[in-house]
Amino acid sequence: MPNRREFLTTLFRAAFLTGLGVLGGAMVLRKGKPGECGFGFDCAHCGEADKCVIPHPFESRQMVWQLDPSLCTHCGQCATACVMTPSAVKCVHVYAMCGYCDLCGGYFKPGTKTLDTAAENQLCPTNAIKRKFVEEPFFEYTIDESLCIGCGKCVKGCDAFGNGSLQLQVRHDRCKNCNQCAIARICPSGAYRKVPARHPSLLRGFEQKPKNGDFTQSQENR
Amino acid sequence: MKQKTLLFGALGMLVVLILFMVKDLFLSSPEPGNNPWKYDLETMKQADTMKPAYTMVKAIPSGLQGLVAIATGPGDRIYTTGAGGAEIYDSACRLLLRFDFEDTAYALTVDSTGNLWMSMGDHVEVWNKTGKKLQTLKSAGRGSLITSLALTGSSLLIADAGLKVVYHYDHMGNMINRIGEKDPVRKVPGFVIPGPWFDLAVSPDGSLWIANPGRHELEQYRFDGQRLLSWGKPGIGIPEFCGCCNPSHFTFLPDGSFVTSEKGIERIKVYNPRGKFSAVVALPGDFDEGTRGLDLATDSRGRILVVDPVRKQIRIFVKRSTTSNN
Repeated sequence: MPNRREFLTTLFRAAFLTGLGVLGGAMVLRKGKPGECGFGFDCAHCGEADKCVIPHPFESRQMVWQLDPSLCTHCGQCATACVMTPSAVKCVHVYAMCGYCDLCGGYFKPGTKTLDTAAENQLCPTNAIKRKFVEEPFFEYTIDESLCIGCGKCVKGCDAFGNGSLQLQVRHDRCKNCNQCAIARICPSGAYRKVPARHPSLLRGFEQKPKNGDFTQSQENR
Repeated sequence: MKQKTLLFGALGMLVVLILFMVKDLFLSSPEPGNNPWKYDLETMKQADTMKPAYTMVKAIPSGLQGLVAIATGPGDRIYTTGAGGAEIYDSACRLLLRFDFEDTAYALTVDSTGNLWMSMGDHVEVWNKTGKKLQTLKSAGRGSLITSLALTGSSLLIADAGLKVVYHYDHMGNMINRIGEKDPVRKVPGFVIPGPWFDLAVSPDGSLWIANPGRHELEQYRFDGQRLLSWGKPGIGIPEFCGCCNPSHFTFLPDGSFVTSEKGIERIKVYNPRGKFSAVVALPGDFDEGTRGLDLATDSRGRILVVDPVRKQIRIFVKRSTTSNN
Protein backbone atom coordinates (compact mmCIF):
# COMPACT_ATOMS: atom_id res chain seq x y z
CA MET A 1 0.00 0.00 0.00
CA PRO A 2 2.69 2.54 0.93
CA ASN A 3 4.42 1.62 -2.34
CA ARG A 4 1.36 2.44 -4.37
CA ARG A 5 0.93 5.78 -2.59
CA GLU A 6 4.58 6.56 -3.15
CA PHE A 7 4.25 5.54 -6.79
CA LEU A 8 1.23 7.80 -7.33
CA THR A 9 2.91 10.75 -5.61
CA THR A 10 5.97 10.36 -7.82
CA LEU A 11 3.78 9.98 -10.88
CA PHE A 12 1.83 13.18 -10.22
CA ARG A 13 4.99 15.08 -9.43
CA ALA A 14 6.54 13.87 -12.67
CA ALA A 15 3.41 14.83 -14.65
CA PHE A 16 3.30 18.25 -13.03
CA LEU A 17 6.95 18.91 -13.72
CA THR A 18 6.63 17.68 -17.32
CA GLY A 19 3.67 19.98 -17.93
CA LEU A 20 5.49 22.87 -16.34
CA GLY A 21 8.58 22.18 -18.45
CA VAL A 22 6.58 22.03 -21.69
CA LEU A 23 4.76 25.26 -20.87
CA GLY A 24 7.97 26.99 -19.89
CA GLY A 25 9.72 25.82 -23.05
CA ALA A 26 6.86 27.02 -25.21
CA MET A 27 6.88 30.42 -23.54
CA VAL A 28 10.61 30.81 -24.14
CA LEU A 29 10.32 29.70 -27.79
CA ARG A 30 7.34 31.92 -28.39
CA LYS A 31 7.94 34.22 -31.36
CA GLY A 32 8.06 37.93 -30.64
CA LYS A 33 8.76 41.07 -32.61
CA PRO A 34 12.31 42.36 -32.57
CA GLY A 35 12.94 44.44 -29.51
CA GLU A 36 9.64 43.50 -28.01
CA CYS A 37 9.85 40.31 -26.01
CA GLY A 38 6.42 40.67 -24.50
CA PHE A 39 7.62 40.17 -20.94
CA GLY A 40 9.64 43.29 -20.34
CA PHE A 41 12.99 41.56 -20.64
CA ASP A 42 14.11 43.98 -23.33
CA CYS A 43 13.80 47.09 -21.19
CA ALA A 44 16.71 49.37 -22.00
CA HIS A 45 16.02 51.59 -18.97
CA CYS A 46 16.02 54.59 -21.26
CA GLY A 47 14.04 56.64 -18.76
CA GLU A 48 11.34 57.49 -21.29
CA ALA A 49 8.56 55.51 -19.68
CA ASP A 50 5.86 57.63 -21.28
CA LYS A 51 6.94 56.60 -24.77
CA CYS A 52 7.61 52.97 -23.90
CA VAL A 53 5.74 50.36 -25.89
CA ILE A 54 7.38 47.36 -24.25
CA PRO A 55 5.04 45.87 -21.67
CA HIS A 56 6.42 45.91 -18.18
CA PRO A 57 5.92 42.62 -16.30
CA PHE A 58 4.25 44.36 -13.39
CA GLU A 59 2.06 46.57 -15.54
CA SER A 60 0.33 43.89 -17.55
CA ARG A 61 -3.09 45.02 -16.40
CA GLN A 62 -2.47 48.49 -17.74
CA MET A 63 -1.62 47.26 -21.24
CA VAL A 64 -4.15 47.26 -24.04
CA TRP A 65 -4.12 45.95 -27.60
CA GLN A 66 -3.70 48.44 -30.38
CA LEU A 67 -3.18 48.39 -34.11
CA ASP A 68 -0.32 50.27 -35.71
CA PRO A 69 -1.75 51.95 -38.85
CA SER A 70 1.68 52.28 -40.42
CA LEU A 71 1.92 48.47 -40.58
CA CYS A 72 -1.72 47.77 -41.48
CA THR A 73 -2.36 46.25 -44.92
CA HIS A 74 -6.18 46.58 -44.76
CA CYS A 75 -6.63 42.83 -45.21
CA GLY A 76 -10.12 42.83 -43.66
CA GLN A 77 -9.29 40.30 -40.90
CA CYS A 78 -10.06 42.84 -38.16
CA ALA A 79 -13.72 42.61 -39.14
CA THR A 80 -13.96 38.84 -38.97
CA ALA A 81 -11.44 37.64 -36.39
CA CYS A 82 -12.46 39.74 -33.40
CA VAL A 83 -14.40 37.92 -30.66
CA MET A 84 -16.77 40.88 -30.60
CA THR A 85 -19.59 41.23 -33.12
CA PRO A 86 -19.27 43.72 -34.69
CA SER A 87 -15.53 44.01 -34.28
CA ALA A 88 -13.98 46.28 -31.65
CA VAL A 89 -11.77 47.65 -34.40
CA LYS A 90 -13.23 50.76 -36.01
CA CYS A 91 -12.24 53.31 -38.57
CA VAL A 92 -11.01 56.51 -36.92
CA HIS A 93 -10.80 59.78 -38.77
CA VAL A 94 -7.74 61.95 -38.12
CA TYR A 95 -9.36 65.27 -39.01
CA ALA A 96 -6.11 67.19 -38.81
CA MET A 97 -4.80 65.20 -41.78
CA CYS A 98 -7.97 65.14 -43.85
CA GLY A 99 -8.14 67.15 -47.06
CA TYR A 100 -11.96 67.40 -46.85
CA CYS A 101 -12.03 66.38 -50.51
CA ASP A 102 -15.12 66.35 -52.66
CA LEU A 103 -13.86 63.22 -54.42
CA CYS A 104 -12.87 61.22 -51.33
CA GLY A 105 -11.05 57.96 -52.06
CA GLY A 106 -12.30 56.52 -48.78
CA TYR A 107 -15.94 57.37 -49.40
CA PHE A 108 -16.57 56.83 -53.12
CA LYS A 109 -16.21 53.72 -55.19
CA PRO A 110 -13.71 54.23 -57.99
CA GLY A 111 -15.32 55.33 -61.22
CA THR A 112 -18.33 56.88 -59.52
CA LYS A 113 -20.06 59.12 -62.03
CA THR A 114 -21.83 61.49 -59.64
CA LEU A 115 -20.35 62.62 -56.36
CA ASP A 116 -23.41 62.23 -54.16
CA THR A 117 -24.46 60.10 -51.22
CA ALA A 118 -26.31 57.47 -53.25
CA ALA A 119 -25.72 54.00 -51.77
CA GLU A 120 -24.31 52.62 -55.02
CA ASN A 121 -21.57 55.26 -54.97
CA GLN A 122 -20.35 54.46 -51.47
CA LEU A 123 -17.37 52.27 -50.79
CA CYS A 124 -18.40 51.47 -47.21
CA PRO A 125 -20.46 48.25 -47.15
CA THR A 126 -22.44 49.42 -44.11
CA ASN A 127 -22.92 53.13 -44.89
CA ALA A 128 -20.90 54.02 -41.81
CA ILE A 129 -19.29 57.15 -43.29
CA LYS A 130 -21.37 60.30 -43.29
CA ARG A 131 -20.61 63.04 -45.81
CA LYS A 132 -21.53 66.63 -45.03
CA PHE A 133 -21.00 69.75 -47.14
CA VAL A 134 -18.83 72.37 -45.42
CA GLU A 135 -18.11 74.98 -48.09
CA GLU A 136 -17.21 74.83 -51.75
CA PRO A 137 -15.41 72.50 -52.49
CA PHE A 138 -14.95 70.91 -49.06
CA PHE A 139 -16.83 68.02 -47.45
CA GLU A 140 -16.52 66.59 -43.96
CA TYR A 141 -16.57 62.84 -43.37
CA THR A 142 -17.51 61.36 -40.01
CA ILE A 143 -17.59 57.73 -38.92
CA ASP A 144 -20.71 56.23 -37.34
CA GLU A 145 -19.02 53.70 -35.08
CA SER A 146 -22.25 51.87 -34.41
CA LEU A 147 -22.28 50.87 -38.09
CA CYS A 148 -18.55 50.48 -38.71
CA ILE A 149 -17.41 46.84 -38.82
CA GLY A 150 -13.69 47.56 -39.15
CA CYS A 151 -13.28 46.04 -42.62
CA GLY A 152 -10.75 48.71 -43.59
CA LYS A 153 -12.07 49.19 -47.10
CA CYS A 154 -12.30 52.96 -46.69
CA VAL A 155 -8.87 53.00 -45.05
CA LYS A 156 -7.34 51.33 -48.09
CA GLY A 157 -9.07 53.79 -50.42
CA CYS A 158 -7.94 56.78 -48.39
CA ASP A 159 -4.41 55.45 -48.15
CA ALA A 160 -4.14 54.82 -51.89
CA PHE A 161 -5.84 57.92 -53.25
CA GLY A 162 -5.83 60.34 -50.34
CA ASN A 163 -3.40 61.11 -47.56
CA GLY A 164 -4.25 58.34 -45.09
CA SER A 165 -6.43 60.26 -42.66
CA LEU A 166 -8.77 57.28 -42.24
CA GLN A 167 -7.09 54.73 -39.99
CA LEU A 168 -8.12 51.58 -38.15
CA GLN A 169 -7.88 51.54 -34.38
CA VAL A 170 -8.98 49.24 -31.56
CA ARG A 171 -11.72 51.07 -29.64
CA HIS A 172 -11.18 50.38 -26.00
CA ASP A 173 -14.75 51.09 -24.96
CA ARG A 174 -15.65 47.94 -26.91
CA CYS A 175 -12.48 45.82 -26.77
CA LYS A 176 -12.48 42.98 -24.23
CA ASN A 177 -8.69 43.19 -24.10
CA CYS A 178 -8.31 39.43 -24.38
CA ASN A 179 -5.09 37.99 -23.03
CA GLN A 180 -4.32 36.77 -26.54
CA CYS A 181 -6.07 38.99 -29.08
CA ALA A 182 -7.72 36.85 -31.75
CA ILE A 183 -6.95 39.41 -34.47
CA ALA A 184 -3.34 39.81 -33.40
CA ARG A 185 -2.87 36.05 -33.85
CA ILE A 186 -3.78 36.15 -37.53
CA CYS A 187 -2.73 39.68 -38.47
CA PRO A 188 -0.53 39.07 -41.55
CA SER A 189 1.56 42.18 -41.00
CA GLY A 190 2.05 41.90 -37.24
CA ALA A 191 0.41 45.28 -36.78
CA TYR A 192 -1.00 44.51 -33.33
CA ARG A 193 0.87 45.08 -30.14
CA LYS A 194 0.16 45.93 -26.54
CA VAL A 195 0.51 49.54 -25.57
CA PRO A 196 0.24 51.27 -22.21
CA ALA A 197 -3.38 52.12 -21.41
CA ARG A 198 -2.32 55.68 -20.66
CA HIS A 199 -1.37 56.02 -24.38
CA PRO A 200 -3.91 53.75 -26.01
CA SER A 201 -3.81 55.14 -29.57
CA LEU A 202 -1.29 54.55 -32.32
CA LEU A 203 -2.55 57.07 -34.83
CA ARG A 204 -0.30 58.03 -37.69
CA GLY A 205 -0.42 61.76 -38.00
CA PHE A 206 0.90 65.24 -37.73
CA GLU A 207 2.30 64.94 -34.25
CA GLN A 208 4.93 62.38 -35.25
CA LYS A 209 8.37 63.63 -36.17
CA PRO A 210 9.76 62.70 -39.58
CA LYS A 211 12.16 59.80 -39.55
CA ASN A 212 15.55 60.70 -40.92
CA GLY A 213 15.89 59.46 -44.45
CA ASP A 214 12.29 58.45 -44.82
CA PHE A 215 10.74 61.20 -46.84
CA THR A 216 7.50 59.40 -47.61
CA GLN A 217 6.88 58.91 -43.93
CA SER A 218 7.74 62.47 -43.08
CA GLN A 219 5.58 63.89 -45.86
CA GLU A 220 2.61 61.87 -44.77
CA ASN A 221 3.08 63.00 -41.23
CA ARG A 222 3.10 66.66 -41.94
CA MET B 1 -3.38 -3.63 -12.34
CA LYS B 2 -6.52 -2.30 -13.97
CA GLN B 3 -6.38 0.86 -11.85
CA LYS B 4 -2.74 1.33 -12.81
CA THR B 5 -3.60 1.13 -16.49
CA LEU B 6 -6.38 3.64 -16.02
CA LEU B 7 -4.03 5.99 -14.23
CA PHE B 8 -1.40 5.72 -16.96
CA GLY B 9 -4.07 6.24 -19.58
CA ALA B 10 -5.44 9.33 -17.81
CA LEU B 11 -1.95 10.69 -17.39
CA GLY B 12 -1.17 10.13 -21.04
CA MET B 13 -4.36 11.91 -22.06
CA LEU B 14 -3.47 14.79 -19.75
CA VAL B 15 -0.04 15.16 -21.35
CA VAL B 16 -1.58 15.01 -24.83
CA LEU B 17 -4.10 17.66 -23.79
CA ILE B 18 -1.36 19.90 -22.42
CA LEU B 19 0.68 19.50 -25.60
CA PHE B 20 -2.35 20.29 -27.75
CA MET B 21 -3.10 23.41 -25.70
CA VAL B 22 0.50 24.55 -25.90
CA LYS B 23 0.56 24.06 -29.69
CA ASP B 24 -2.77 25.77 -30.13
CA LEU B 25 -1.94 28.71 -27.89
CA PHE B 26 1.68 29.40 -28.63
CA LEU B 27 3.04 27.51 -31.61
CA SER B 28 0.37 27.82 -34.25
CA SER B 29 -1.14 30.76 -36.04
CA PRO B 30 -4.41 30.20 -37.83
CA GLU B 31 -4.57 30.90 -41.52
CA PRO B 32 -6.33 34.16 -42.32
CA GLY B 33 -9.58 33.59 -44.15
CA ASN B 34 -10.90 35.20 -47.28
CA ASN B 35 -11.72 38.87 -47.12
CA PRO B 36 -15.34 39.41 -48.07
CA TRP B 37 -14.75 43.18 -48.19
CA LYS B 38 -11.67 43.08 -50.36
CA TYR B 39 -10.93 46.34 -52.14
CA ASP B 40 -9.07 45.14 -55.20
CA LEU B 41 -6.95 47.99 -56.44
CA GLU B 42 -4.85 45.67 -58.57
CA THR B 43 -7.74 44.78 -60.86
CA MET B 44 -8.51 48.45 -61.25
CA LYS B 45 -4.91 49.20 -62.16
CA GLN B 46 -4.82 46.39 -64.71
CA ALA B 47 -7.78 48.00 -66.47
CA ASP B 48 -5.28 50.46 -67.92
CA THR B 49 -4.51 48.41 -70.99
CA MET B 50 -3.25 51.19 -73.24
CA LYS B 51 0.22 50.46 -74.49
CA PRO B 52 2.78 53.02 -73.34
CA ALA B 53 4.31 55.11 -76.10
CA TYR B 54 7.48 55.38 -74.04
CA THR B 55 9.93 52.82 -72.79
CA MET B 56 12.41 52.90 -69.94
CA VAL B 57 15.98 52.93 -71.17
CA LYS B 58 17.87 53.41 -67.95
CA ALA B 59 17.43 53.19 -64.19
CA ILE B 60 20.14 54.95 -62.20
CA PRO B 61 20.42 53.74 -58.61
CA SER B 62 20.73 56.74 -56.32
CA GLY B 63 23.04 56.86 -53.36
CA LEU B 64 20.72 59.18 -51.47
CA GLN B 65 18.84 57.81 -48.48
CA GLY B 66 15.51 59.19 -49.62
CA LEU B 67 15.09 60.31 -53.18
CA VAL B 68 12.62 63.18 -53.49
CA ALA B 69 13.18 65.70 -56.26
CA ILE B 70 14.76 65.89 -59.69
CA ALA B 71 15.65 68.64 -62.15
CA THR B 72 17.76 69.08 -65.24
CA GLY B 73 20.25 71.87 -65.75
CA PRO B 74 22.76 73.24 -68.26
CA GLY B 75 24.15 70.59 -70.60
CA ASP B 76 21.25 68.27 -69.68
CA ARG B 77 22.90 67.49 -66.38
CA ILE B 78 20.66 65.64 -63.97
CA TYR B 79 20.27 66.93 -60.41
CA THR B 80 18.56 64.99 -57.63
CA THR B 81 17.99 65.68 -53.98
CA GLY B 82 16.38 64.02 -51.03
CA ALA B 83 17.15 63.22 -47.43
CA GLY B 84 20.51 64.60 -46.45
CA GLY B 85 22.14 65.25 -49.80
CA ALA B 86 22.16 65.96 -53.51
CA GLU B 87 23.66 64.31 -56.55
CA ILE B 88 24.68 65.64 -59.94
CA TYR B 89 24.98 63.41 -63.01
CA ASP B 90 26.07 64.27 -66.51
CA SER B 91 23.74 63.68 -69.45
CA ALA B 92 25.19 60.18 -69.88
CA CYS B 93 24.13 59.42 -66.28
CA ARG B 94 27.66 59.35 -64.83
CA LEU B 95 27.83 60.61 -61.26
CA LEU B 96 29.78 63.88 -61.11
CA LEU B 97 29.24 64.98 -57.54
CA ARG B 98 27.43 64.04 -54.37
CA PHE B 99 27.29 66.35 -51.39
CA ASP B 100 25.59 66.17 -48.04
CA PHE B 101 23.53 68.47 -45.89
CA GLU B 102 21.55 67.94 -42.73
CA ASP B 103 17.96 68.49 -43.86
CA THR B 104 15.71 66.93 -46.44
CA ALA B 105 15.27 68.83 -49.68
CA TYR B 106 11.63 68.64 -50.76
CA ALA B 107 11.90 70.46 -54.08
CA LEU B 108 14.60 71.42 -56.53
CA THR B 109 15.21 73.66 -59.49
CA VAL B 110 18.45 74.57 -61.22
CA ASP B 111 19.42 77.96 -62.64
CA SER B 112 21.37 78.70 -65.81
CA THR B 113 24.71 78.63 -63.96
CA GLY B 114 24.05 75.21 -62.48
CA ASN B 115 23.25 76.38 -58.95
CA LEU B 116 20.74 74.30 -57.04
CA TRP B 117 17.71 76.03 -55.50
CA MET B 118 16.26 73.65 -52.93
CA SER B 119 13.30 73.71 -50.60
CA MET B 120 14.30 72.71 -47.09
CA GLY B 121 10.72 72.52 -45.90
CA ASP B 122 9.79 76.07 -44.95
CA HIS B 123 12.58 77.95 -46.68
CA VAL B 124 14.74 77.91 -49.82
CA GLU B 125 18.49 77.45 -49.92
CA VAL B 126 20.82 78.03 -52.85
CA TRP B 127 23.86 75.76 -53.23
CA ASN B 128 26.42 75.91 -55.98
CA LYS B 129 27.43 73.01 -58.17
CA THR B 130 30.40 72.18 -55.95
CA GLY B 131 28.24 71.68 -52.90
CA LYS B 132 28.72 75.02 -51.12
CA LYS B 133 25.78 76.91 -49.64
CA LEU B 134 25.44 80.38 -51.16
CA GLN B 135 22.22 81.81 -49.84
CA THR B 136 19.30 81.11 -47.50
CA LEU B 137 15.99 82.76 -48.22
CA LYS B 138 13.67 83.80 -45.41
CA SER B 139 11.10 81.26 -44.25
CA ALA B 140 7.59 81.71 -45.59
CA GLY B 141 6.16 81.23 -42.11
CA ARG B 142 4.82 78.68 -39.67
CA GLY B 143 3.11 75.74 -41.35
CA SER B 144 4.88 76.30 -44.63
CA LEU B 145 5.89 73.27 -46.72
CA ILE B 146 7.48 74.21 -50.02
CA THR B 147 6.95 71.40 -52.51
CA SER B 148 7.90 72.97 -55.82
CA LEU B 149 10.19 75.66 -57.20
CA ALA B 150 10.64 77.28 -60.61
CA LEU B 151 12.94 79.97 -61.91
CA THR B 152 12.49 82.39 -64.77
CA GLY B 153 14.71 85.28 -65.86
CA SER B 154 13.94 87.43 -62.83
CA SER B 155 11.40 85.46 -60.82
CA LEU B 156 11.40 82.64 -58.33
CA LEU B 157 8.08 80.83 -58.01
CA ILE B 158 7.45 78.85 -54.85
CA ALA B 159 4.56 76.42 -54.35
CA ASP B 160 3.71 76.15 -50.66
CA ALA B 161 1.52 73.10 -49.94
CA GLY B 162 1.34 73.95 -46.24
CA LEU B 163 -0.06 77.45 -46.71
CA LYS B 164 -1.80 76.60 -50.02
CA VAL B 165 -0.40 79.49 -52.00
CA VAL B 166 2.24 80.27 -54.61
CA TYR B 167 4.79 82.98 -53.82
CA HIS B 168 6.34 85.12 -56.50
CA TYR B 169 9.82 86.29 -55.39
CA ASP B 170 12.72 87.97 -57.10
CA HIS B 171 16.04 86.17 -57.11
CA MET B 172 17.19 88.01 -53.98
CA GLY B 173 14.32 86.61 -51.98
CA ASN B 174 12.07 89.68 -51.95
CA MET B 175 8.41 88.83 -52.31
CA ILE B 176 6.63 90.43 -55.24
CA ASN B 177 3.14 88.99 -54.87
CA ARG B 178 1.10 85.92 -53.89
CA ILE B 179 -0.67 83.85 -56.51
CA GLY B 180 -3.73 81.64 -56.31
CA GLU B 181 -5.38 82.80 -53.09
CA LYS B 182 -9.15 82.53 -53.19
CA ASP B 183 -10.52 85.72 -54.72
CA PRO B 184 -14.09 85.70 -56.06
CA VAL B 185 -13.62 89.14 -57.64
CA ARG B 186 -10.77 87.95 -59.85
CA LYS B 187 -12.46 84.55 -60.27
CA VAL B 188 -9.64 82.71 -58.53
CA PRO B 189 -11.17 79.65 -56.83
CA GLY B 190 -8.15 78.97 -54.61
CA PHE B 191 -6.01 75.88 -54.37
CA VAL B 192 -7.32 72.68 -52.85
CA ILE B 193 -4.32 70.83 -51.47
CA PRO B 194 -5.39 67.73 -49.53
CA GLY B 195 -1.85 66.38 -49.13
CA PRO B 196 1.76 67.45 -49.54
CA TRP B 197 1.56 67.34 -53.35
CA PHE B 198 1.55 70.76 -54.97
CA ASP B 199 3.56 71.37 -58.10
CA LEU B 200 4.19 74.23 -60.48
CA ALA B 201 6.24 74.70 -63.62
CA VAL B 202 7.01 77.31 -66.22
CA SER B 203 6.34 76.18 -69.80
CA PRO B 204 8.89 76.63 -72.62
CA ASP B 205 6.90 79.68 -73.80
CA GLY B 206 7.28 81.26 -70.35
CA SER B 207 3.77 80.82 -68.97
CA LEU B 208 3.17 79.79 -65.38
CA TRP B 209 1.18 76.62 -64.72
CA ILE B 210 0.16 75.45 -61.27
CA ALA B 211 -1.42 72.14 -60.29
CA ASN B 212 -4.65 72.34 -58.33
CA PRO B 213 -4.67 68.70 -57.21
CA GLY B 214 -7.89 68.80 -55.17
CA ARG B 215 -9.73 70.00 -58.28
CA HIS B 216 -7.75 67.65 -60.58
CA GLU B 217 -6.76 70.57 -62.76
CA LEU B 218 -3.72 72.36 -64.11
CA GLU B 219 -4.25 76.11 -64.05
CA GLN B 220 -2.46 78.84 -65.97
CA TYR B 221 -1.74 82.13 -64.20
CA ARG B 222 -0.17 85.41 -65.13
CA PHE B 223 2.70 86.42 -62.90
CA ASP B 224 0.51 89.16 -61.41
CA GLY B 225 -1.87 86.46 -60.12
CA GLN B 226 -4.58 86.66 -62.79
CA ARG B 227 -5.98 83.20 -63.51
CA LEU B 228 -6.18 82.58 -67.25
CA LEU B 229 -7.37 79.06 -67.96
CA SER B 230 -7.40 75.49 -66.70
CA TRP B 231 -7.86 71.94 -67.89
CA GLY B 232 -8.20 68.46 -66.37
CA LYS B 233 -10.99 66.40 -64.90
CA PRO B 234 -11.30 63.69 -62.24
CA GLY B 235 -11.79 60.01 -63.02
CA ILE B 236 -9.97 56.71 -63.23
CA GLY B 237 -9.87 56.62 -67.04
CA ILE B 238 -6.46 57.17 -68.58
CA PRO B 239 -7.09 60.71 -69.83
CA GLU B 240 -8.36 61.78 -66.39
CA PHE B 241 -6.73 62.33 -63.01
CA CYS B 242 -7.59 59.74 -60.35
CA GLY B 243 -7.99 59.87 -56.58
CA CYS B 244 -8.46 62.87 -54.36
CA CYS B 245 -5.38 64.85 -55.30
CA ASN B 246 -3.74 64.48 -58.65
CA PRO B 247 -1.66 65.22 -60.66
CA SER B 248 0.93 65.07 -57.93
CA HIS B 249 3.72 66.29 -60.24
CA PHE B 250 4.06 67.69 -63.73
CA THR B 251 6.60 69.21 -66.05
CA PHE B 252 6.96 70.20 -69.72
CA LEU B 253 8.55 68.59 -72.74
CA PRO B 254 10.53 70.90 -75.05
CA ASP B 255 7.51 71.16 -77.42
CA GLY B 256 5.31 72.48 -74.59
CA SER B 257 3.48 69.19 -73.93
CA PHE B 258 2.60 68.43 -70.32
CA VAL B 259 4.01 65.37 -68.55
CA THR B 260 2.02 64.41 -65.46
CA SER B 261 2.42 61.81 -62.74
CA GLU B 262 -0.22 60.47 -60.37
CA LYS B 263 -0.35 58.58 -57.09
CA GLY B 264 -2.96 55.99 -56.12
CA ILE B 265 -3.00 54.58 -59.62
CA GLU B 266 0.65 55.17 -60.39
CA ARG B 267 0.91 56.41 -63.95
CA ILE B 268 2.73 58.95 -66.04
CA LYS B 269 1.10 60.51 -69.08
CA VAL B 270 1.70 63.14 -71.73
CA TYR B 271 -0.86 65.77 -72.74
CA ASN B 272 -0.43 68.12 -75.68
CA PRO B 273 0.05 71.87 -75.02
CA ARG B 274 -3.74 72.35 -75.14
CA GLY B 275 -4.29 69.76 -72.41
CA LYS B 276 -5.50 66.95 -74.62
CA PHE B 277 -4.32 63.48 -73.68
CA SER B 278 -1.65 62.26 -76.05
CA ALA B 279 0.38 59.30 -74.70
CA VAL B 280 1.10 56.99 -71.80
CA VAL B 281 4.64 56.95 -70.45
CA ALA B 282 4.31 54.42 -67.62
CA LEU B 283 1.51 52.43 -65.99
CA PRO B 284 1.02 50.96 -62.49
CA GLY B 285 2.80 47.75 -63.53
CA ASP B 286 6.01 49.75 -63.90
CA PHE B 287 6.04 50.71 -60.21
CA ASP B 288 5.87 49.01 -56.84
CA GLU B 289 2.49 49.19 -55.16
CA GLY B 290 2.00 52.36 -53.16
CA THR B 291 4.70 54.32 -54.93
CA ARG B 292 4.11 58.03 -54.60
CA GLY B 293 6.22 61.11 -55.13
CA LEU B 294 7.06 60.49 -58.80
CA ASP B 295 8.79 63.80 -59.41
CA LEU B 296 9.46 64.56 -63.06
CA ALA B 297 11.98 66.35 -65.23
CA THR B 298 12.71 66.47 -68.92
CA ASP B 299 15.81 67.29 -70.93
CA SER B 300 16.44 68.96 -74.27
CA ARG B 301 16.23 65.60 -76.07
CA GLY B 302 12.71 65.00 -74.81
CA ARG B 303 13.72 62.28 -72.36
CA ILE B 304 11.47 62.00 -69.31
CA LEU B 305 13.29 61.54 -66.01
CA VAL B 306 11.33 60.13 -63.11
CA VAL B 307 12.22 59.84 -59.46
CA ASP B 308 11.16 56.48 -58.05
CA PRO B 309 11.47 56.91 -54.28
CA VAL B 310 10.58 53.29 -53.50
CA ARG B 311 13.20 51.71 -55.74
CA LYS B 312 15.55 54.66 -55.09
CA GLN B 313 16.20 55.08 -58.78
CA ILE B 314 16.18 57.78 -61.40
CA ARG B 315 14.32 56.18 -64.27
CA ILE B 316 14.66 57.52 -67.79
CA PHE B 317 11.92 57.04 -70.36
CA VAL B 318 12.17 57.80 -74.08
CA LYS B 319 9.65 57.63 -76.87
CA ARG B 320 9.61 54.18 -78.45
CA SER B 321 10.49 55.43 -81.92
CA THR B 322 13.58 57.19 -80.54
CA THR B 323 14.82 54.32 -78.37
CA SER B 324 17.62 53.45 -80.78
CA ASN B 325 19.00 56.99 -80.59
CA ASN B 326 19.48 56.85 -76.81
